[in-house]
Amino acid sequence: METLKNAFDFSDFPRIDLTVAGIFVFLFLIFPLFPHSAFAMATMIQFFMFSLYGMGWNTIGGYGGQVDLGKAQYVGIGAFTTAVMLIRWNIPFWVSMPIGVCFAVIWSFMLGYPLFRLKGHYFAIATIAASLVLKDLFEVWDFVGAARGLEISPVKYNPPDFLHLIFKEDIYYYYVILVFFFIGILYVNWFRKSRLGFQLRSIKDNEEVAQSLGINVHWAKIKTYAIATAFVSVVGSFHACYIKNIEPEDTMSLDISILIALMAMLGGAGSLWGPIIGAGILIPMKSYLKEWLGAQAGLVGIDLIIYGAIIMLVSAAEPRGIWGIVEKVRRRKAK
Amino acid sequence: MALLEVHNLTKNFGGLTANDNISFQVEKGDLIGIIGPNGAGKTTLFNCVAGLHPISSGQIIFDGKDITELKSHEVARLGMARTFQVYAASGDLSVLENVMVGCFMRTSSTLAAKVKAKEILKEFKLENLSDYLLREIPVAAQKRVTMATAVGTQPKILLLDEVAAGLNSSEIEEIMGTIRSIHNKLAITVMLIEHVMELVMNVSDRVIVIDSGKKIAEGNPEDISNNPDVIKAYLGERYVQEHSAELR
Repeated sequence: METLKNAFDFSDFPRIDLTVAGIFVFLFLIFPLFPHSAFAMATMIQFFMFSLYGMGWNTIGGYGGQVDLGKAQYVGIGAFTTAVMLIRWNIPFWVSMPIGVCFAVIWSFMLGYPLFRLKGHYFAIATIAASLVLKDLFEVWDFVGAARGLEISPVKYNPPDFLHLIFKEDIYYYYVILVFFFIGILYVNWFRKSRLGFQLRSIKDNEEVAQSLGINVHWAKIKTYAIATAFVSVVGSFHACYIKNIEPEDTMSLDISILIALMAMLGGAGSLWGPIIGAGILIPMKSYLKEWLGAQAGLVGIDLIIYGAIIMLVSAAEPRGIWGIVEKVRRRKAK
Repeated sequence: MALLEVHNLTKNFGGLTANDNISFQVEKGDLIGIIGPNGAGKTTLFNCVAGLHPISSGQIIFDGKDITELKSHEVARLGMARTFQVYAASGDLSVLENVMVGCFMRTSSTLAAKVKAKEILKEFKLENLSDYLLREIPVAAQKRVTMATAVGTQPKILLLDEVAAGLNSSEIEEIMGTIRSIHNKLAITVMLIEHVMELVMNVSDRVIVIDSGKKIAEGNPEDISNNPDVIKAYLGERYVQEHSAELR
């Protein structure tokens, strides 16, 4: 009961935050009713997906301060579990998605146990390596389609198929991911006020002090890593049904891992709104820059340069990202 | 039965013996001061007792249980809380949230933790600082917040590591009051490491003196301040010889 109450309780935010959030919720709900391009729709769906990735990353990376650069492997686990089950055995999304989460969480425990013996940069590097190794394994594993990947053929289904999550129009995907997005926000809102959330913030502050307060630091990190993983895996499963054509190279690449972490850091790691703000800036920028500039020869990759520059600017000004700047200004005003 | 028994505790860091065969007992309700010159091994002793460092040899019994092999967080859960000497307050937890983290050891309910934390902050007269970040408040208040956080775990014994270091005399007065109220009102057994003699000699029932990793004396504050071994440790052999007449 208290859990549920905490999830829906946003009262510790200033009214202005809630007003802005309310306006956005309203806009998100009615967006598909307005005339829009297919491109804008796709960008919105990407935005929600990456917000969710970022929210997941934020639990361990933001609140816990453990910079994880290997989240793409869990996108892959979720996506391939759903795709394989759908293609081979026609298993519905709502069954394969939780199974994918189970696989991903089991894998996260197996990795997390040794990896959390490492600290700081060493941990970050190890997560990159682990993710790349899993990608390489998937690329030679015939059962999951190897490097060619898998293609979900919509022909067999009768869209809109809510059970298998196969739709012709993007608007269905939009509302499905929007629901996940709201659930994600409610979960993180609960998480940040939960015992684990507090313990993690204490760990980020000082591990020895955290231990002296009865916190099993290693276990708390592993648990939270599993939570972050579950978020990512759910969206990975959605990704499989939405994109319908998945390859290890796309779903599990280092780019995805880094983008997930960058978004949360740009928006503000360790805050509820941070990953959403980060995704809201980076995803449209990524899509549109690719669209405008990508086609011109010689400008390929300029989008990477631009967000590299933004990240450098933000971290030089305020390492806690855009939300960090907002909070700094507020604290100064309050005095 | 003593609350805490330390038997022949030895801690080596490579070739350096930081604690050499130290034994002592703490009874329930004691308020014990540990003094000694810089580098004597006082903080190491705390770290060993609280499970932060594995010890090289010896045995530690707390509340009837052998905690020699236990980790820091397990020892904490059995009821041993501590503060740290150097605590760079860098985090984004507010004063209230810091104390809540301590309270979360005994409850998983956010509401219960908050209520308890507010109660403790009131007891420590820190409630008007609740919403500040730790780094925004004066050092003396920071020290009291770390004490409040430790008290939040509802310990049987509290180890305080130099809570008065770097404070002025009115702040020391305030800290002394806090220590006394932890000891008397909350009935928590206290062990404290301190360099500020005024504080140790004032509040402790018993003082243990450590020098170069060895326990050199133990007794009530008055005897300790006249003990030639202790004076030698602090002021050197020559001082003791030159002033032997006065010391008698």
